[in-house]
Amino acid sequence: MTEVTICGRGGQGGVTLAKLIATSYFLQGKDVQAFGVYAAERSGAPLQAFVRIDDEEITNHNQIKCPDHVIVLDRTLISPGIAVGAKSSGWIVLNTPQAPEDFAELFPGRQVATVDATSLAVSHKLGTRSVPIVNTTMLGAIGEVFGITLEEIEASLAELRFGEPNVTSARQAFQQVRKVKLSGHVTEIPTPQVRQKIAGLLDEDQGLPPKIKTGSWATQQPERRQLTPPCNDGCPAGNDVRAFVEAVGKKNYSRALEILLETSPLPGVCGRVCPAPCMEACNRSELDESVNIRDLERYAAEHGEWPVATTPWRSERIAVIGSGPAGLSAAYQLAKQGYRVTIFEAGKQLGGVMRTGIPAYRLPPDILDYEISHILDHGVEAITGCKIDRKKLLELSHEFAALFVGTGLQNIRTADLGTEANDAVQEGIEFLDRARLGEERCDDERVIVVGGGNTAMDASRTAQRLGAKSVRVIYRRTRDDMPAISEEIAEALEEGVIIEELVSPIRITPMGSGVGLLCQRMRLGEPDESGRPRPIPETTDDAFFEMPCDRVILALGQSHDLSILPEGAELKDGDTLVGLFGAPIFSGGDFAGNDGTVSAAIGSGHKAALHIHQTLSGDTGTPSTTNPVAEPNVIHMNLFNCSVQAKPVEIPMNKRRSSFAETKLGLRDLPGVSQAAMEAQRCFNCGTCNSCNRCMDYCPEGIVYKEGGEYRFDYSYCKGCGLCSTQCPRGVIYMSEL
Amino acid sequence: MARKLVSGNQAAGHTLAVAGEANREARGCICGAYPITPQTEIIEFLRAYEFTKGRVVPVESEHSAMAVCMGGSLAGARSVTASSSNGLAYMTENVFAAGYYRLPIVMIAVNRTLGPPWNIWVDQGDSLMLRDAPWLQFYTESHQDLVDTILLAFRVAEDPRILLPAMVAMDGFVTSHTQMGVDLPEQELVDRFLPHCIVPHRLRSDHPTTIGGLTWPKETEHHRIEIQRAMERVPEVLAEAISEFEEIFGRRPHGLLSAEHTEDADVILVASNSMARTLRGVVESRREAGEKIGMIKAKTFRPFPREAFESAVGKTAKVGVLDRNHSPGSGGIFWQEIVTSLRNQPDTMVQDYLVGLGGGDVTPEILHEIVDDLISRSKSVEPVWKEVASR
Repeated sequence: MTEVTICGRGGQGGVTLAKLIATSYFLQGKDVQAFGVYAAERSGAPLQAFVRIDDEEITNHNQIKCPDHVIVLDRTLISPGIAVGAKSSGWIVLNTPQAPEDFAELFPGRQVATVDATSLAVSHKLGTRSVPIVNTTMLGAIGEVFGITLEEIEASLAELRFGEPNVTSARQAFQQVRKVKLSGHVTEIPTPQVRQKIAGLLDEDQGLPPKIKTGSWATQQPERRQLTPPCNDGCPAGNDVRAFVEAVGKKNYSRALEILLETSPLPGVCGRVCPAPCMEACNRSELDESVNIRDLERYAAEHGEWPVATTPWRSERIAVIGSGPAGLSAAYQLAKQGYRVTIFEAGKQLGGVMRTGIPAYRLPPDILDYEISHILDHGVEAITGCKIDRKKLLELSHEFAALFVGTGLQNIRTADLGTEANDAVQEGIEFLDRARLGEERCDDERVIVVGGGNTAMDASRTAQRLGAKSVRVIYRRTRDDMPAISEEIAEALEEGVIIEELVSPIRITPMGSGVGLLCQRMRLGEPDESGRPRPIPETTDDAFFEMPCDRVILALGQSHDLSILPEGAELKDGDTLVGLFGAPIFSGGDFAGNDGTVSAAIGSGHKAALHIHQTLSGDTGTPSTTNPVAEPNVIHMNLFNCSVQAKPVEIPMNKRRSSFAETKLGLRDLPGVSQAAMEAQRCFNCGTCNSCNRCMDYCPEGIVYKEGGEYRFDYSYCKGCGLCSTQCPRGVIYMSEL
Repeated sequence: MARKLVSGNQAAGHTLAVAGEANREARGCICGAYPITPQTEIIEFLRAYEFTKGRVVPVESEHSAMAVCMGGSLAGARSVTASSSNGLAYMTENVFAAGYYRLPIVMIAVNRTLGPPWNIWVDQGDSLMLRDAPWLQFYTESHQDLVDTILLAFRVAEDPRILLPAMVAMDGFVTSHTQMGVDLPEQELVDRFLPHCIVPHRLRSDHPTTIGGLTWPKETEHHRIEIQRAMERVPEVLAEAISEFEEIFGRRPHGLLSAEHTEDADVILVASNSMARTLRGVVESRREAGEKIGMIKAKTFRPFPREAFESAVGKTAKVGVLDRNHSPGSGGIFWQEIVTSLRNQPDTMVQDYLVGLGGGDVTPEILHEIVDDLISRSKSVEPVWKEVASR
């Protein structure tokens, strides 16, 4: 009788290999048995299968302890242990890329055959890359060693309905197997007499965990990672959005404000006027609605305790030209670093476009005043009504250690509508500034606003509030292409503003008691360099028409005024200007080409401040590492319940049109319930562990544990089932293949 | 006849299927079944089999599986099922009902240890727990023995002189999951061997009857006596069936038991299921060495063939019983039956060995040790535990 033991791992097809070997002898008329050891047949677990072959009837049914041949399907199972009890006259057939000679020390005096069945199986796509099924391939090698012909091997495969590519793989193994009788003397390892002590019901030492290191079964292991939440990634100001939202969720509003003030001095402003790219990026919008981050920021600014300002401790003085969001942000960050900062502002009040360009119903001036005063509390000096030109800038460069230019967009883009009715044409920026100062009324006027940006929306909504009879916005592309914040467009429409798409102004002429604006219809062409479709004028007769009105407001955008800079200076965001003898000059904000949002300007000012500090102190700081962004597919959304986004309270429509009072009032708490905290708790905490403990709760092996507040995996017992990973709601735990 | 290399489960599944199919021109075949390791492969086989008449009815538990079989049988269908271990325990109420209703259902019992503690390997405690149920019980040693016994079971169970359900047992994994060569019976031959299944008391719309209603003590006793008489007729009916089997299939399966080298034996060992095959190898090798050793492979357990044992043992001085089962507070269950059978032979010593419990690997070495122990023993003692698992 010939007896064969097969050592493999669950999933490699060891039991089927036993049947394949048995079948090839059965077809020759031999009596055979093929069987496995059952119960631990979980994928990856070490297991054994056996074959008996005899010319006579086989009577015994016990497991094989002293086989003639040993077959090992998995490289990691090759050890002296597999030869224990095996007869020295037989073969040890190993699945390994190594040569048989490499096992001279392990199996001295034995007949060893090797074949790289795994590579063959992978190349023929048998099983998967991580768990290739090697049984049919191994049959080829075993056949060669045992003296089974290729025809008999193929007949055996056919009997068990294995076709291509199994047959080819087996044939290649048949040809590639290497056989050697190793030198030396066979080390007889006696079968160990295991006298296991089995604990009785009343024994004190019962219940000890078995010392089976099931970690060796694993084909994959859980690992932890930190990902960048998409909101953080999307915030131009660089706010740690996730962290402040988490603090709001814990009702620690002062901590939330503290986190925001790390990166931005204007949380109350951004909490009102930011277009919130964080909310667009929010993974929660893939499930229901994004977290209302903008209103949470406002809430933190309103409910957190503002920290006491620091006073400068360094001697270096730094000049900041312009007090818009970029200048204020740079001044604030530099002051926090201990520098003595002086702001130069051409206007009468600080705040730049936030004061002159954003109407009070969106940003009440007292909010801006409060946040500016907090910046000034850091020992920042401000000089208003002081316009800096090129000559003055060069003077300052000798007085100060460094200069920051954030003068925004001072050149207004305009349009030539002819001279016949010039009095009825007004620039949007100027209109908004006069309206703010109470110097404008539009009672019973028909107003046309030209443009599609935020200024156009602000001007149209302001004209409504100043008593206009009708307000129309004309735009040469469509509403979807407007650069204005979509919410502002929606609110303008709610308030009764009419938008005329695909219309461009040509000329203005007197008409009746008012004026007439001659317009031309447009159509959309191929995308231009801005990525938006290029508007193309229609030339048919009915493409031209006249719109009667009383006032035309142009809101066509602004551009920066570079005349302040030294000749030949090149502009780089946050970077120093070259070719000067005085102090280094930095720039930022819209002036340096940012995208026109307050948050981008804040980020730009912050970046410049860091650069200035590095330049002056030589302290380059520690380079930060950027983690990959947590994409929606790593979040297990099925573990979250759907919920509705908390919306801010708004004043009624009938009160909006006649008042410059703030339209939105933020999140309002109910008695005993913080709406803001509830909203913040909707946050997924993408890619960041918040100690929810699900990994510990769901691990069926109990191998996830905490040590010093950190989660750890006991890899010696982890079978790699992956439950912790599928139960990690936020994508922190992932499975890496071994 | 097609000789195939298959698992015990596949062999059983095939045989149940062709037996069911053989009733296609009568009232078909019904299988109520619920999966449990190590029996599941049988159910999978039957589920995939395309019966001309009849089908597998999937149910939510073993209790319902037997209920479906009873319904099928009361409608006149040939009814089959299979179970193991705790599944049999859960089925028990209806196991008794099927027998007391006198329904010739055939069930495969794939022997598995009853839990807890949880254990999926072989131990006969599950089917032997049902020894007091009105069922025939057969224990089989190999794939061929299994296949042949299943066919005989249908013949005997459905015989109008018997009309009792029959259970055919095999070892979990050692038989059920081992690939061995077997002559699988072909449909044509089975059609000849198995007549149409006739359940004379089946429910009929043209002759409405009630079964299983309230009875008085005397009627109940009569019901039990009828079952006892039917059991007593089994040896005769089985012998007839074996003769006809041999005519059709050309081989002669064992009947109540198989006595080997018993005539001149000094010691006889008794074993059942696959252990009997391993024992046979041991006995043969010791016979070759000149030792007067005999063996009895126990096959029919219900009815227990007391007379056949008595005559096979004869005047042999020592009998050793290998029990892969344990009745707590008593000992091996085959041993109890054999001691009862030999109650009139006071000169025979009967020693019990509990071996391979919970799926322990029974090797020839262990059986040699037992033979040696039996030879050296002059007086029987309480059942001896052979703790195979600790070796």
